[in-house]
Amino acid sequence: MELDYTPSELMAVAGARELRDREVVAVGLGLPVVASFLAKQTHAPNMTILFELGVIDPQPVDQGVGLADPRVWYRANVLSSFVDILGEVLHRGRVDVGFLGGLEVDQFGNLNTSLLGDPKRKFRHMIGSGGANDIASCAKRTIIIMRHEERKLKKAISFITSPGYITGNDSRARAGLAGGPSRVITDKAIFSFHPDTKQMMLTSIHPGITLEEVLGTMGFSPLVPEHIPYTEPPTQEQVRLIREVIDPQHMYMG
Amino acid sequence: MTKLSTLSDAVASIPSGAHLALSGFAITRCTMAFSREVIRQEIKHLTISQCVGAMDADMLVGAGAVDRMIYGGGSLDRFGRLNCVNRGIEDGTLAVEEYSSLSVAFRYLAGALGMPFMPIRSLRGSDLIAQLKERSPSDIANITDPFTGDEWPVLKPLLPDVAVVQVQTADEEGNACIMGPRWDNNEQVRASQRTIVIAEHVVTDETIRQNPEQTSIPGLFVSHVVELPFAAHPTSVYRAYDYDAEQIQAYVEATHTPESFHTYLDQYVYNVRDHWEYLERVGGLKHLTSLQADPVKGY
Repeated sequence: MELDYTPSELMAVAGARELRDREVVAVGLGLPVVASFLAKQTHAPNMTILFELGVIDPQPVDQGVGLADPRVWYRANVLSSFVDILGEVLHRGRVDVGFLGGLEVDQFGNLNTSLLGDPKRKFRHMIGSGGANDIASCAKRTIIIMRHEERKLKKAISFITSPGYITGNDSRARAGLAGGPSRVITDKAIFSFHPDTKQMMLTSIHPGITLEEVLGTMGFSPLVPEHIPYTEPPTQEQVRLIREVIDPQHMYMG
Repeated sequence: MTKLSTLSDAVASIPSGAHLALSGFAITRCTMAFSREVIRQEIKHLTISQCVGAMDADMLVGAGAVDRMIYGGGSLDRFGRLNCVNRGIEDGTLAVEEYSSLSVAFRYLAGALGMPFMPIRSLRGSDLIAQLKERSPSDIANITDPFTGDEWPVLKPLLPDVAVVQVQTADEEGNACIMGPRWDNNEQVRASQRTIVIAEHVVTDETIRQNPEQTSIPGLFVSHVVELPFAAHPTSVYRAYDYDAEQIQAYVEATHTPESFHTYLDQYVYNVRDHWEYLERVGGLKHLTSLQADPVKGY
């Protein structure tokens, strides 16, 4: 029997599969929340979830409109501060995984959440960094989740809010940063990064999507290996958890 | 010593051109009644700082009270962008120094500790640092770690004139409890020259002394204590009341153009005498009661 799931559900499941038990994960709202709670309720019960404003390991029963909504702080173990979470946990080096979304990403995994257009001329200012730059700079690895569109996967992005591998090769290390993006998960495919050049590299294609559809809707050419597997589809139980337990009101999945 | 004050007197203590650190985070614990009174008193040329831009700052910017903002980005969560702040950035009328959340928090922390500067791992390799070096070169520099020889970006301490903090309870001296996450508020208070506390309830000194481990703000930092229920409306106060979704929606709609925002300010700020009349205008006791937090859930 073919299982019915949406592209967003597959993205959340793919995100969850990247997380391991006992890891410490810094999360922004939206799909990363679904991915993290899904991992925690399946294969990673001892994972610790952090929200930048000062929340450790919440167990929400209602969906919130954002990190400022007390619904997403419910039943936390700790309610503290930026200095505690982004400073004493993240900056100290204890965050294994940062989960980031963005407006634009380039082939080296640099992320823009600041502005669209030309920063020197006409542009539209958006959210900015929040904790995203801190997470991208200090987490041991980051996972990027975004829609697969030409205007989002770009050769040159308008503004680097959060650094990936900067200009590739060893430029991130030379800037004094460890870590870096390990995966980019879109609604068409999953990418990783070449160990030396740090260029984005196609890792798997979602079931039902062709290579042409993946490459034809990107602003740059990723490295493409000879054999590309299909992304493992969600299980029935994963889809049930997302729909019935984690996001019954479709607040995060859109 | 009692520091109890009216909102109007507390606001009148702020000179035009002051640097204010505001306690809001997106749509929670924003200093809304305070911001409305600043607009009524026509205090101008303010510098506003906060780690994450919030509705309290956005309203002041939209009313033309702010020249400069130091922040780490922000939004009104699912309700929308900070339309007034973004418009100010886009048309160049607002000078903005844009950081990440932690870099603003570290600037406050350096100020709070009396440190000369604070090294940070963040910002490297980003356009944020490039932009800061261009716009505010005296606030950011590089230093060589004397122990390892590594290069580090360093931030200048942030020393606001006044922190304005919305809390759940405080006593007359200003010893205050913040329930829920404090984001940057503790560091804002300690870095600032003085603090204005806006409390939902003023409690007795004895109440504070019964649970002193819950005091977030020691009275010694505080110049004014203002008791004002629903002072953060339409934003939320954890364990007191929920955000008012309809009113935030109306705000977001109104901020789409300067003209529609003037109409909003007329309706909710200029043509209301004080906070009590504002509360009547948004629906009075019946409506506000419906926002009251569930004691277990806190919202």
